Amino acid sequence: MLRVRSLSVRYPNGRLVLDGLNLQVEPGELVVVLGGNGSGKTTLLHSIARLLRPSAGEVWLGQTDLCKLDGEALRQARLELAMISQHPSLIRRSTVLTNVATGTLGRHHTWQTAFGGLPRHELDAAHDHLAQVGLVHLADQRAGTLSGGQKQRVAIARALAQRPRVLLADEPVASLDPEASEEIMRLLQNLARSAKLAVLCVLHQIELAYGYADRVVGIRGGRIEFDLPREQVSRDSVQRLYIREPAKDDAARDAARDASREAA
Amino acid sequence: MSIDVSVDAARAAVPVSPGVRSGAVRSWGGAITVAMRTVLTLLGIAVAVQTFIVVEARPSDLITGIHGMADLVRRAVPPDFSKFPETIWPTIQTVDIALFGTLVGVILAVPLAVLAASNITPSRVAYYGARGIIGLARAVPDLVWALLFVTAVGLGPFPGGLALGVHSVGMLGRLFAETIEQMDMAPIHALELTGARRIQVFTHGIVPTILPTLLGISLYRLDENIRSSLVLGFVGAGGIGFQLLTAMNLFQYQEVSLLLIIIFVIVLAAERMSAALRERLA
Repeated sequence: MLRVRSLSVRYPNGRLVLDGLNLQVEPGELVVVLGGNGSGKTTLLHSIARLLRPSAGEVWLGQTDLCKLDGEALRQARLELAMISQHPSLIRRSTVLTNVATGTLGRHHTWQTAFGGLPRHELDAAHDHLAQVGLVHLADQRAGTLSGGQKQRVAIARALAQRPRVLLADEPVASLDPEASEEIMRLLQNLARSAKLAVLCVLHQIELAYGYADRVVGIRGGRIEFDLPREQVSRDSVQRLYIREPAKDDAARDAARDASREAA
Repeated sequence: MSIDVSVDAARAAVPVSPGVRSGAVRSWGGAITVAMRTVLTLLGIAVAVQTFIVVEARPSDLITGIHGMADLVRRAVPPDFSKFPETIWPTIQTVDIALFGTLVGVILAVPLAVLAASNITPSRVAYYGARGIIGLARAVPDLVWALLFVTAVGLGPFPGGLALGVHSVGMLGRLFAETIEQMDMAPIHALELTGARRIQVFTHGIVPTILPTLLGISLYRLDENIRSSLVLGFVGAGGIGFQLLTAMNLFQYQEVSLLLIIIFVIVLAAERMSAALRERLA
């Protein structure tokens, strides 16, 4: 389903953030990516979603290499790929149902959607997606009034409305309490199974990775350290991901400083 | 053997701790701040004094001339309420000039603001073009716009409405653009990621986010425009202002006082309604 081949990303300041990554996520599979700060986890997701252009490599979504696409072709291909992030970015003043239904906009190029409307059948479908995340009772409530966990579930429902084949989750539980975090991870696991979604999830919570992942990928310094079923991942190998690499960290800090100077 | 160590030599030999050095810097910094404050205070006093000179302020003239004002007020009392039916139509005109101007202003300001907001503008050319139009519309006072439109379309409420419309484009365009620039872009980027097109992102993401603020600003502008439309009548742009000017020119001071009461009621009502609606939108 999702295949990443020899993916490399080098920032304009010369820093190599991803170094020839290979990765595969199958339908129905929840793969968790672990790694320290600056290891390249988020850059990996952004490269897959083509929010940034990789320096080298391929990102295959089914039979399509996203790295070779641009413009309208890329937009069309992206419809099959949904993304949720640490901060569920909802339209605060719109209702929960409307927020979910906006996930379908990419499929509709009509006057109705151009002027702020949504097709009736998509609103009905949005109801079903809200039921999937257990929030159908909040359908008519404004998104801005929800709790953090509820917002994240609405973001997941919106991602489902997009009818994607791949779901990218960038630290989806980073700002949630442990209970809400468990709920979100359970939801992602269930969705992967029931909707046959390929879910690639970046996490910092090791226990959640052990609890819910089918496979765990460890990244350090832009390289994959291990890619194993969760039962085979040892605590030691995970611990090693978070050991500071002085030389690299200093280089990263220098690069960040150079970049900020350039920006200034 | 005597050891002669001068103070300077001792200072040179003993390394100065960062704390000592920063203390010296702090005292210098404090002196500069005090000097700056003194200069600014003196500058402020000088600016205040020069305003009295430039406006030729003569309080004695005001005191001696107060009798003329008192005479005017005496002749204006009581208000001539028999003229009330004649003021109804100009009053409606005044309010409608303001409504028309605000409506035209909002309709034209929204697309200009989209082009003039640095975070969503489609191109730099469009950005500078829109900023230029907004700047021009705002820089020229509404009274001057009214004079220009009176020349173009003649006397009456229409030039007043047009003048307020154009001036409102300037005022609203700038505020709308700033509102768009200050909005949280994360939900907008999230919507773009779903594959939504530019126009859909605008109508489904940007509009619902900024609509309450835009409506609040528009209501505030309507409130301002009602006050402006009263003055525009003085240059022939219709409404109650025109009637007020005519009454003053004909020395009909009792009618003037009636019109001033009506103006007071309109302004107060508009202000209260605008404030109440903005409160509901918040």
